[in-house]
Amino acid sequence: MINFLLARIGSAIITIFGASILAFVILRAVPTNPARLIAGPFANDEVIAQVTSQLGLDKPLFVQYFDYIVSFFAGDWGFSYSAGQPVLSQIVQRLPASAELALYAFLFAFIGAVFVTVLVSFLASKWLDRLLRLLSFISVGVPPFWLALLFLMVFFEQLGWFPGPVGRGPAPGSVHTGLFTIDYLIAGNFSGFATALHHLALPALALALGPFGYLVRLLRANLLDIVNEPFVTVLHAKGVAPVSTHFQHILPNAFLPTLTAGGLILAQLLGGSVLVERIFVWPGIGTLVIDGILRQDYAVVQAFIMLSAIIYIGVNLLVDILYGYVDPRVRRS
Amino acid sequence: MTTTSATPLLEVEGLKTSFKTSRGIVKSVDDVSFVIPAGTTLGVVGESGSGKSVTSLSIMRLVARGGGSIDDGVIRLNKPGQPAIDIRNLDEKSMRRVRGNDIAMIFQEPMTSLDPVWSIGDQIIEAVRLHQKVSRAEAREKAIEMLRLVGIPAPESRVDDFPHQLSGGMRQRVMIAIALSCRPALLIADEPTTALDVTIQAQILNLIRRLQKEIGMSVLFITHNLGVVAEIADRVAVMYAGQVVEEGPVRAIFSAPRHPYTVGLLKSIPTPGSSSNPMASRKLDTIGGAPPDPVALPHGCRFAPRCPLAIDECQKAPPPLFPVGENHGARCIRWPEVSK
Amino acid sequence: MVGVVMFAIIIFIAVFGRLLWPVDPLRVDILGSLLPPSLEHPMGTDDVGRDVFARFIQGAQVSIGVAIGVTIAGTLIGGTLGLLAGLVGGWFDTIVSRTMDAILAFPPLILAMAVAIGLGPGIVSAALGVILAAIPWYFRLLRSEVLRLRTLMYVESAQALGASSFRLIRLHILPQTTSTIFIQASSVFSFSILTLAALGFVGLGIQPPTPEWGTMITEGLAYALTGQWWLGFFPGLGIFMLAVSANLIADRLRDIYDPKSGARLSL
Repeated sequence: MINFLLARIGSAIITIFGASILAFVILRAVPTNPARLIAGPFANDEVIAQVTSQLGLDKPLFVQYFDYIVSFFAGDWGFSYSAGQPVLSQIVQRLPASAELALYAFLFAFIGAVFVTVLVSFLASKWLDRLLRLLSFISVGVPPFWLALLFLMVFFEQLGWFPGPVGRGPAPGSVHTGLFTIDYLIAGNFSGFATALHHLALPALALALGPFGYLVRLLRANLLDIVNEPFVTVLHAKGVAPVSTHFQHILPNAFLPTLTAGGLILAQLLGGSVLVERIFVWPGIGTLVIDGILRQDYAVVQAFIMLSAIIYIGVNLLVDILYGYVDPRVRRS
Repeated sequence: MTTTSATPLLEVEGLKTSFKTSRGIVKSVDDVSFVIPAGTTLGVVGESGSGKSVTSLSIMRLVARGGGSIDDGVIRLNKPGQPAIDIRNLDEKSMRRVRGNDIAMIFQEPMTSLDPVWSIGDQIIEAVRLHQKVSRAEAREKAIEMLRLVGIPAPESRVDDFPHQLSGGMRQRVMIAIALSCRPALLIADEPTTALDVTIQAQILNLIRRLQKEIGMSVLFITHNLGVVAEIADRVAVMYAGQVVEEGPVRAIFSAPRHPYTVGLLKSIPTPGSSSNPMASRKLDTIGGAPPDPVALPHGCRFAPRCPLAIDECQKAPPPLFPVGENHGARCIRWPEVSK
Repeated sequence: MVGVVMFAIIIFIAVFGRLLWPVDPLRVDILGSLLPPSLEHPMGTDDVGRDVFARFIQGAQVSIGVAIGVTIAGTLIGGTLGLLAGLVGGWFDTIVSRTMDAILAFPPLILAMAVAIGLGPGIVSAALGVILAAIPWYFRLLRSEVLRLRTLMYVESAQALGASSFRLIRLHILPQTTSTIFIQASSVFSFSILTLAALGFVGLGIQPPTPEWGTMITEGLAYALTGQWWLGFFPGLGIFMLAVSANLIADRLRDIYDPKSGARLSL
């Protein structure tokens, strides 16, 4: 087990190293002057010269990479000229909003996918199964930003059921976690919790649809595989009722491989938040990144790119370890 | 109706089971009848596709999962001192009480017959608690006892093992422990030794024989290997293309077979009836040709196209089961001429 | 079936749209701005009076053209690298495989964003970004196929007979993997459509005034909640139909050629 852990962590570190070189090559060693990219289009020559030496762009590439990686892990992610703030503090400020949105999107996708897929496979109706398959393709193929726009046009403008693009709604009085819904719950303020959830619903649903479709496809395929396993016939021969067979045996077996999709789901949430947040004026990292792109203030975008890779690798590592821990077949080896 | 000890435990009469496939309807079991007296073993022998597994799944009423249906016939279970159970017309809930409790089954593939994410103990406990009103702790004691009974060393610690931690032979022992945990009146063993190493096969056969005596159950033992049948069965039914072609006491079948197919099967065993080498798995290489297409069966005798004794008469009408000896029948019009 | 019909409709619009609807997608008509869909303007007009249907048609051409280019380039580059890594092995395999791991360490959309930023916003950098994200999928596919087929007897004996690597690829490996490549290509096509639109949406795609579906949605954003829904709705519908139909086709191909791999998915 220890060996497995060490090997997995080791290869994750190598991958992070490779990814950092790649990010460096893509973002720093391109023909465009990185100093101009960082300083923005309105900077004068003096600022650019200052940024050039600040970034060490006059040094050899090898040294530049070394400086880049050291400062990244030291938490020095650059300075956002348009916001007049260090990138790190900007990201830290906006992290809770994005985290809360991603959390709810994940919950919606996960609970929804497990519920409909298991229900359809239990009912064993060919017609429902076809419908589910089509639904999964529609979910995966719909551009999240367009869906967000449709949600606003229908559920806010036409029907008035949900708040418009006004972000997270009123902030709770005391901050514990930065997640509005949780902070309201801690404060015992249930109407505040309901308001926060009301604001979260549309953006979280728009963000959830892609991961939902993906999870449905994966879970459905796994369930189909498991249902045909000989041990299911054995269970019937033991006299186990179909409900128990389905929920106590088939579902856990189909569920475990679904865990491995955790990393891919996160990738979709990271990318999707950049697309969805802006439409709802959500004060999260995604909006920050788009603003950075539009103002050509790339320091924050660069930090976000490297950060996504590290989170992505980290989650995949976690999933592997978790999978090894949960699945008795892998646990021993 | 209360049964006496003279009534056989299981009666199967005129069983017909078919499957819908893309190529048409396959009559996997076509008019099969046999009885199993209490405490005895019936060996069912035949090539794969002969309908022997479908017969056992029909008795368990588990054919619907594979797209099959029981079209005709009677399956009756007569437990001593209790009303007869008409399996074909039982409601599903009562049928679940029969499965695993009155009739238990073990399968060919021990490697995939256990739920990989449940411990073996939990899988025995599940069976025990489904059919008996006992606490979890009692069921666990029972599970350990069953593991000891089937010869698993250190059952107190092994009970928490997962299937992947056990060898194939050990897993088949666990399957037997699950099947016997409720002391069934009938055990159906569908090729339980085929997937195992030769040395393990003999151990499992001995185990089944020993436990049969201890529990006093009947066994329906399915195999393609006549050598195994000689070891374990009291009576033998030979199946070919969905029908029983010969049925009789094990001695009669081995010493005086009355169907050419049985003769062919016997010839394919290097040392027939010898217990020194019962598991040699050379299979039917002395019978030329292949079994008939299940969606286009011959009109007359189904074995005629491969039969060395076939005459024109054989193609004309399906032969009935002729009585050829005491409790011995053969589906061949030329049975008096058949010999080893 | 639904997939093929949907796909055919969009392709038809892209190919013959301009012949059947010869309206200049760039012609500004301030007096005729923000008109709702009508016979004269089937998809309405935008904030400066340009015909949305004409822009939709050109957007379809841009999206499909770039996506096809991306898919072909990704197949060729990723596939060739995969073939080579599988055949040559050794240090070459190690280096390329590690590079692919590094590429896969990024969420695909974010990697494409990085390339588009590094090379400066525009359709070429956007396309290069999507290609880079797609390369490892083909690489892994082809490399594992080569390794699998190499262990099969007939390829081994072919090599023993002195077949050159090129012959090996052409006669034994490519015919075996064509269907898998096609399935992967349909998925990548769908991914390209969605990612190019997303890059356009965040301002990293084709630059205005050339119409592109993602950019058109951004432009429609300001009018989405003031009643002019058609600005953002139609381009999104185009992206949606194309991405879903390509995925449906990929799935159908998988059913036909590779029925056992139901569980194998790509993003």
